[in-house]
Amino acid sequence: MNVITRGVRNAFRNLVRSFSIIITLGLSIGLCLVMLIAHQAVGQKINDVKASVGNAITITPAGFSAFSQANNALTSPQLSKVKSLAHVTGLTETLTDRLTTIGSSQPSFGFGEMSSGSSGNNNQTSLTSPVKINLNRNGSGNGRGYHLFINGGGSLPSNFSPPVTIIGTTDPQTLNQQNGNSAKLVSGKFINGGEDTNNAMVSTNMANKNNLKVGSTFTAYGTTLTVAGIFDTGTQGGNDAVIVSLPTEQRLSGQSGDVTNAVATVDSLDNLASATSAIKNQLGSSADVVSSQDQANNAIKPLQNVQSISLISLIGAVIAGAVIVLLVMVMIVRERRREIGILKAIGASNVRVIFQFMSEAVTLTLAGAIIGILIGVVGGSPVTNTLVTNSTTSSSSFSESGGPRTFSRFGNGGGSGPVFRRPAGGFLNRGAGSIGNTLSNIRANVGWSILLYGLGAALLIAIIGSSLAGWLIAKVSPAEVMRVE
Amino acid sequence: MLKVTKLQKTFRSGDTEFAAVGGVSFNVPEGQFASIVGRSGSGKTTLLSLLGGLDKPTVGTIEIDGQDIAAMNDHALIDYRCRAIGFVFQSYNLVPNLTALENVLLPMEFARVPKSQRLERAKQLLDQVGLTDDKQHRKPGKLSGGEQQRVAIARALANKPKLILADEPTGNLDSQTGKMIFDLLHNLAKSENTTIIVVTHDTGIAGKTDKTFRLQDGKLRK
Repeated sequence: MNVITRGVRNAFRNLVRSFSIIITLGLSIGLCLVMLIAHQAVGQKINDVKASVGNAITITPAGFSAFSQANNALTSPQLSKVKSLAHVTGLTETLTDRLTTIGSSQPSFGFGEMSSGSSGNNNQTSLTSPVKINLNRNGSGNGRGYHLFINGGGSLPSNFSPPVTIIGTTDPQTLNQQNGNSAKLVSGKFINGGEDTNNAMVSTNMANKNNLKVGSTFTAYGTTLTVAGIFDTGTQGGNDAVIVSLPTEQRLSGQSGDVTNAVATVDSLDNLASATSAIKNQLGSSADVVSSQDQANNAIKPLQNVQSISLISLIGAVIAGAVIVLLVMVMIVRERRREIGILKAIGASNVRVIFQFMSEAVTLTLAGAIIGILIGVVGGSPVTNTLVTNSTTSSSSFSESGGPRTFSRFGNGGGSGPVFRRPAGGFLNRGAGSIGNTLSNIRANVGWSILLYGLGAALLIAIIGSSLAGWLIAKVSPAEVMRVE
Repeated sequence: MLKVTKLQKTFRSGDTEFAAVGGVSFNVPEGQFASIVGRSGSGKTTLLSLLGGLDKPTVGTIEIDGQDIAAMNDHALIDYRCRAIGFVFQSYNLVPNLTALENVLLPMEFARVPKSQRLERAKQLLDQVGLTDDKQHRKPGKLSGGEQQRVAIARALANKPKLILADEPTGNLDSQTGKMIFDLLHNLAKSENTTIIVVTHDTGIAGKTDKTFRLQDGKLRK
């Protein structure tokens, strides 16, 4: 029997005590691993988000937000100056509006006009929105889909239909990519964003709801439009929209030259900051200019908080485990002073005795590590998701702020009236919004590396925890054996 | 074989110094069975600790085959305790979590005796002390006091030491078992040509040894 075997056997000398220690260490190591898994998963997500950040700059009218009711649209002449700035390689402009369904009624508590630029009677379409509204009177709903929060009285008319979002854009294909939503053409073709025609693209949901196919027609602003293509963004918000070219939307809505949103593309990530500054200088106080880098940084803040929490918890759990082992080993050494004296008296060196006790500590912690790894495997993913979900939910207002103008018109933004909330990741929910939508999609992987980290943590805990015990062992005199009990 | 010269060990308690062993000198030739007798507190156990290299003297030398253990460093002392000394204690001092056989194997493991030789020697020694095969695999808690002391004697002889130091080896045993253990120790030491020093307050045992030293207040009395 060698030193290690003796250490292993000694670890189970007192079964009840050993079992208690192993369970406690298992919880500690399990917490270490859960936090490590969370830390790694969130870190990977942050890296993914950073890596996926495009070299895009979002330009919106100053003060524009979902609930601010900002009304000073940008104009094409203003934005044409942006196109000529250094490092700006492209500019996609959009004008967004909302149409009511012909024959539907608006609620009595006043959703107000649907568009600022065109008369209310013209803002109608033959389409019916595929959006399903969840009515919520206490304002505490957190379910999926659209929510209409009504704090006060009022009710929806029986023939109420949610408005239909119509987007005029200079580049429907690029628009999709910039959203972060991978919209795909399901049938037909993309329209030409620079051409003023009566062609439109509809989403799959919209097409299904209204029995539309490529070549079908519908009316908007009193004009008949033809479906040229059907797309699918893969998101609820994105699949509720109609797309036309920017000139078409400006003509139909009577908002000639107006733009509610623009995205500038920069030649390199290295030039993103300088181009953002140049655009800010060019547009002055009339526009809010935010780079995708800024948006990503804001979006990943909650994740960084989760990462910090998990790191602190990880360190805390390692320290707790080490303290447990340390106290246990000190107790064991104090109990076995005489035995240590015997071993030394019959020829064992300090190193040999310390090694035996360290083997005991390692055995206990490795047994704890097995339990800890099980806890880590089972709990890693749910705990990570819970941490991330709680963190990103608390910061969801940020995601909302990037929403399209149409929604700001839909609700009154406070008081006792209704507030309309759409799910994150809408078709025009650019940059941070689309990033925010994917933040909670975290995959917590439990691979071999985690198992190795678990064993490594166990060894670290055992070594740190038994260091003081080793010092105490070295101090025990072999003459201890002569002490008469 | 053993030459002790002006050996002194003092302990300090606050401002007071106390000499547990005060300037002791004596010789024990190789293969002799010597005893040290004295009352409790006379310094017997302290003297045995010094002879066994468990503690270091304040002054004096302890030469075994011409080598002064008082001048040895810690590493050399460990080797000395491992190979040159065998201990037999009053309270047996076996490792409770190991079987009788494993207890006897332990000093040979520390001395890096090859595995195959260890087991053979341990079994042979346990047979010699009269421990049956069944009892060789029992832990100390499952053995009687006399049996535990037999295991302790076998352990003390494991590395064929030059010197066996026994501290009241029969102190915890009834007189009949004590006599049996004493005879066993005596016979085994003779057969292995080992020098033995027994610390005892039993004058009956002391009378049977080759040489007796009387210790009183840390000093030898004729």
